Amino acid sequence: MPEPIPAAPVGSVPAAVPAAVPAAVPAAVPASPAPSRIVLVGYGPVGARLVEELLPVVRAGLATLTVVGAESADAYNRVLIADYAVGRSDRDTLEVTDTDAARAAGVDIRTGEIVTRINRVRRTVTLGDGTDLGYDRLVLATGARANVPTLDGVTRLRRTLMRPPTDAGALDTADAPLPRGVTALRDLDDAATVLETVRSGGRIVVLGAGVLGMEFALAAAQAGSDVCVVYHADIPLNRNLDRGGGTVLARSARRAGVTMVSHARAESILFTVDADGHDRFDALICADGKQIPGDLLVLSCGIGARTELAGLAGLSVSTGILVDESLRSWTDPAVFAIGDCAHVAPRPAPGASTATPAGGPTGLIGPGWRQADWLAARFAAEIEHDARAGAVTSPATAAADVAAPADFGPALAVQAHGVVMLKAEGIDVVAAGDTSADPWDIDPAHPDDGHGAAEPVHGRDCAAAPGATAPRLGVSQWSDPEHGRYVKMVTRGGILTGFICVGMPRTGAELALLFERGSELPADRSLLLRYDGPDVDPAGGGDAFAPDATVCWCNGVTVGAITASAAAGNTDVACIGSATRAGTGCGGCRGRIGEVLERFALTNSTEIVG
Amino acid sequence: MTAPLASAARPGVDTHCPYCALQCAMTLTPTYAEIGMQSGGAGAGTDTAARPGLTVAGRAFPTNRGGLCKKGWTSAELLTSPERILTPMLRQPDGGFAPASWAEALDLVAERLAGSRARHGADSVGVFGGGGLTNEKAYQLGKFTRVALGSSRIDYNGRFCMSSAAAAGNRAFGVDRGLPFPVEDLDAADTILILGSNVAQTMPPFIGHLEGARSAGGLIVVDPRRSATARLTEDGGGMHVQPTPGSDLVLLLGLTNIVITERLIDTDYLERRTVGFEALRRSVSRWWPERVQQLTGVPVPQLRELARRLAAGSGTYILTGRGVEQHVDGTDTATAAINLALVLGLVGTRHSGYGTLTGQGNGQGGREHGQKCDQLPGYRKITDPAARAHVAGVWGVTPESLPGAGVPAIELLDSLGVSGGVRCLLVHGSNVVVSAPDSNRVRAGLEALDFLVVCDFFFSETARFADVVLPVTQWAEEDGTMTSLEGRVIRRRTAIGAPDGVRSELWIFQELARRLGSAGTFSADPAEVFDELCLASAGGLADYSGLSYGLLDTGEAAYWPYPVGSTGTPRLFLDRFAHADGRARIVAVHARVTDAPAQRDGTVTLITGRLLEHYQSGAQTRRVPELHQAQPQARLQVHPATAARLGLVDGGEVEVGNMQGTVTCVAEVTGGIRPDTVFLPFHFPGAQRANLLTLGATDPVSGMPEFKRTTVRVRALVRTPGSGPAGPVSVPSIRTDAHA
Ligand SMILES: Cc1cc2nc3c(=O)[nH]c(=O)nc-3n(C[C@H](O)[C@H](O)[C@H](O)COP(=O)(O)OP(=O)(O)OC[C@H]3O[C@@H](n4cnc5c(N)ncnc54)[C@H](O)[C@@H]3O)c2cc1C
Ligand code: SF4
Repeated sequence: MPEPIPAAPVGSVPAAVPAAVPAAVPAAVPASPAPSRIVLVGYGPVGARLVEELLPVVRAGLATLTVVGAESADAYNRVLIADYAVGRSDRDTLEVTDTDAARAAGVDIRTGEIVTRINRVRRTVTLGDGTDLGYDRLVLATGARANVPTLDGVTRLRRTLMRPPTDAGALDTADAPLPRGVTALRDLDDAATVLETVRSGGRIVVLGAGVLGMEFALAAAQAGSDVCVVYHADIPLNRNLDRGGGTVLARSARRAGVTMVSHARAESILFTVDADGHDRFDALICADGKQIPGDLLVLSCGIGARTELAGLAGLSVSTGILVDESLRSWTDPAVFAIGDCAHVAPRPAPGASTATPAGGPTGLIGPGWRQADWLAARFAAEIEHDARAGAVTSPATAAADVAAPADFGPALAVQAHGVVMLKAEGIDVVAAGDTSADPWDIDPAHPDDGHGAAEPVHGRDCAAAPGATAPRLGVSQWSDPEHGRYVKMVTRGGILTGFICVGMPRTGAELALLFERGSELPADRSLLLRYDGPDVDPAGGGDAFAPDATVCWCNGVTVGAITASAAAGNTDVACIGSATRAGTGCGGCRGRIGEVLERFALTNSTEIVG
Repeated sequence: MTAPLASAARPGVDTHCPYCALQCAMTLTPTYAEIGMQSGGAGAGTDTAARPGLTVAGRAFPTNRGGLCKKGWTSAELLTSPERILTPMLRQPDGGFAPASWAEALDLVAERLAGSRARHGADSVGVFGGGGLTNEKAYQLGKFTRVALGSSRIDYNGRFCMSSAAAAGNRAFGVDRGLPFPVEDLDAADTILILGSNVAQTMPPFIGHLEGARSAGGLIVVDPRRSATARLTEDGGGMHVQPTPGSDLVLLLGLTNIVITERLIDTDYLERRTVGFEALRRSVSRWWPERVQQLTGVPVPQLRELARRLAAGSGTYILTGRGVEQHVDGTDTATAAINLALVLGLVGTRHSGYGTLTGQGNGQGGREHGQKCDQLPGYRKITDPAARAHVAGVWGVTPESLPGAGVPAIELLDSLGVSGGVRCLLVHGSNVVVSAPDSNRVRAGLEALDFLVVCDFFFSETARFADVVLPVTQWAEEDGTMTSLEGRVIRRRTAIGAPDGVRSELWIFQELARRLGSAGTFSADPAEVFDELCLASAGGLADYSGLSYGLLDTGEAAYWPYPVGSTGTPRLFLDRFAHADGRARIVAVHARVTDAPAQRDGTVTLITGRLLEHYQSGAQTRRVPELHQAQPQARLQVHPATAARLGLVDGGEVEVGNMQGTVTCVAEVTGGIRPDTVFLPFHFPGAQRANLLTLGATDPVSGMPEFKRTTVRVRALVRTPGSGPAGPVSVPSIRTDAHA
């Protein structure tokens, strides 16, 4: 087994790091295996998962872990915040980790505190109160914040190189708080604001019809609120759905009591003045002059990764903090990022273009949790390895080895795009992948197919047809707007690469599984639609009195066996039982045996008469 | 009750079915018809004496209410099977077997075991038991191993069966009894959730107890297959939930999430009777319904409907079976089911509950009396000094002389013939070549042994590897007790004498112990052994000390614990759980999200299981002509869409393979299975052994192997011209070729 840790000289700059690191980084690697100092910035659900997974090494005294989280509450499950905000679930259902247990294990968790600066040269972070904390490994899990759109009456901050405020409570607002009656929906304070309006029966205007906006609007409507969704595109969820799917969703939302205002470009806000002289939201004004009044404006215009801390420290940043497949910063081998703030992309080869890489944070929690699990496992393996070897695998020395050392576990599978699903009761929307293709599009790789060439319906959709350059594109569609149903499946070489499914829960669930696994679809795509049919039993629908239909399950006796026995003179249920054992198990089929015998008697009597 | 087959006049003997854990009551009546035993046949003995047969009749009893399934009705046929071994058989230098006298055989066995012990230490002799043995035999086997052999190396096939549920039950409740309530309690329930059990095929008379729930529309069956049990939910009977294989744990965590989020929990119950709820609530916060849908394939509306139904029922039971337990996370899955039952406040009430459906005939009793590597009679821990002292006292030996804990089944089998491992093995009531996972490896282990002794009625696939095969009595030829799936101790009674050359294991243990110069005494009389077992169990979790054959023969419904002076315990947990503080433990468990393989080019997930007609490795039921004719060979269930893609036809030959091995069998095309899943029964030998494909990976808590989530590739076996017509699938001798 090759030595997994390359003996890079301490203090050298790994060649693969594109953005040049100041020569003094890193300063010195401790010579003795003192506990590795891990500092985590951000105590959201992803940060919390990392803490849980690191508990064993902390308990073993092999590492110290300090967590700095701006929110004053212990980490909670942000995904469920909308349910809480409309009063559908209790605060304690948001709890997702045992912070007390982590503290008891020796983790130093500082909530309501903020990191304002990373000093990469000295390997310290500075807190809001000016204290410095040293680290050997720094993990950024600073998450994302809601975007604030350009609206007259609302101040937008340009954050790129803005230092975070020293006051943790002002992490996202700095000195420009949102006006009264305007909120995002991302944290507990936002939820409290929303809940107040829901409880008081106020009218809610949601700006933006993305997944989060629609989920919230539907939940609020279900909780009895008067809700209006204002959006720019012609359909809701326009980033995930096509026209068919979006239109069906919009209709379903209307039926659920949500007012849907499409093609609306929000421009400014109209205020009333509270008794204390402060402005309060009164109405949203659109470019065409439309005024949409309400008691609360909920901004749901997408999210942006919190990257300013990393950017200020000179770490490579794109739509998120740039990290490689080992979740290690492109720039500094001692810094890692996970969750909504992380943009995982392969580190460009030396000399290659460092143009903005494709992709970006998914904004979904599943990938974040996987990253946390993976990173904790990697840290634990490295740290335990050091403890055994009596030496220190500084992340800095290990960094030149971009490919994961084999004995530290398998590489992290990077999830390109996840499955998006609307969390709303009674409205089922699932979508994933690229669904832009249309059934009648010409596949550039197979122009000869002509319009609408169907994939072969028998046998396997061959992924590698002789001479074919790219796998064949296939698009199948089903729309039934009257009943709120719409399905589109896009395949490449028979493998599902994108889909939309509205109003067909079981089909959507199956498609999501097939998509996530990269599985082949059945050649007969309509099979998938039938999952949501009334005859959910694909094997059923047969004639219950067909000769090979089973009557007695206990003894495996068929209709045929019973009629044969009846023909031999066994004409009541008891005789049939003696002769065939039908009905002598649980006895549940005796009624049906009777029916079979009746039918037999009928058909036979005519024969006898005739 | 109608007992159409009973020949009323003759005196019959009341006993129970030899096969599954429902232990249906039956009456056996000698027919006095002379049935000639043919000689020869698969190396059987030469006894040609005519023996009377037996007539089987169902008997009224709470579990089966007079009914029997096909296996039970035909069970007597094996008594007179021409394939029965009727005299000890010794392997010959040429590889064949030759009959021998008992003295000869036992002398040889004793000599080899003693020799191995002297040369390689006591732990070089191992014992593999079974969940079909009577309580008396299971008890005596544990005692024989620890006292006469001095070995710690004993475990049994219950590892492949009940170990996950048992571990979960012990962890949560402090004790493990499959159903901690009488089966009839189910009759009054309006909601029953069955996870991973196909009772309609494995123990059909049981489904009578589901009638109440069915008529209330509340039977909910979770199974990737539309099994016979799932079909009971049709026509308004309830709901079939069809998750992708291996996702049961996530499903249960998701249901618990809904129950908590929608405030359907029983707060008062949680406060009074449990500890650990907070941690559970936090752990399931991760499993909101939409995420669960993505991993299980079960749509959110169905999840919610199911969770609400469980909470709304006035009598609600949650029952688990091997389908959810036979996984590397089986203990955690069973724990998640228990947690769901606890947050709903179901367990330990008169109207609701949680239970696991034991499979093997004495799967319950078999796990209580010391066949498990870490256990002494009465469900005691072998590592507990007080337990050792008590049991050593009953056995008349010193506590120090008892070995410590051994290793669980898979580890035991993995150590066969390995340096420092087991060199001589005794197998009782188990056909490991067919039933253990990673079959090729097990076979290689048996071949590497110095010496293998198998006690069986037939030349089972395992017996064929033996050096000595000892023929033993069948159920109708012996007395004893069994403990059914509901923890009720019942009597097995002799209805017919055993053939001349056949002996009971109790007698074999006695003879071997004597030859080995053992300290303890080993009675061959079942009643005496039972009395000793009762003493040994006194004060343990599974306390039988108030029981005796005399009491059981009165027909009393005796549920353990049954300490002296008590009247037994039909319902455990009514007042308290078995932990010191009387509370149930809610143990938060986590599901690891693993990537499922892409289902392309014939890659699918294999699950294994049982058929109506066969029991376990089929060593018995395959020898009953009626059962064999109904299911003569392994058939791979595959969905029509998958079949179309892979070019499989109903009845056509298929090859199923992976890194472990290759199975050839025929396809059964049916819509009753998920397109991403295939099903193969594990009853068949040779190249049809489903366990050629399963992995030796085990649950870290229970030692349960992974039987129901194996990735395989399926392809049609195409006959190339010149290869000749493929005849009916024969059962070739065991082959070892790996999948290319
Ligand atoms: C309404 C809503 C619904 C959602 N629904 C889904 C869904 O259905 N499925 C799904 O997958 N995802 C969903 N998400 C997204 C999911 O919540 C995020 O992916 C997840 O929260 C990301 O976790 P995180 O820990 O990376 O970041 P965050 O949860 O954003 O947490 C980051 C934490 O870091 C703190 N922090 C930031 N900077 C600093 C600093 N300088 N110093 C100290 N602390 C700092 C922040 O205060 C915050 O507490 C939803 C989100 C919302 C808001
Ligand atoms: S259900 Fe079980 S116990 Fe009953 S007859 Fe069938 S195999 Fe025997």
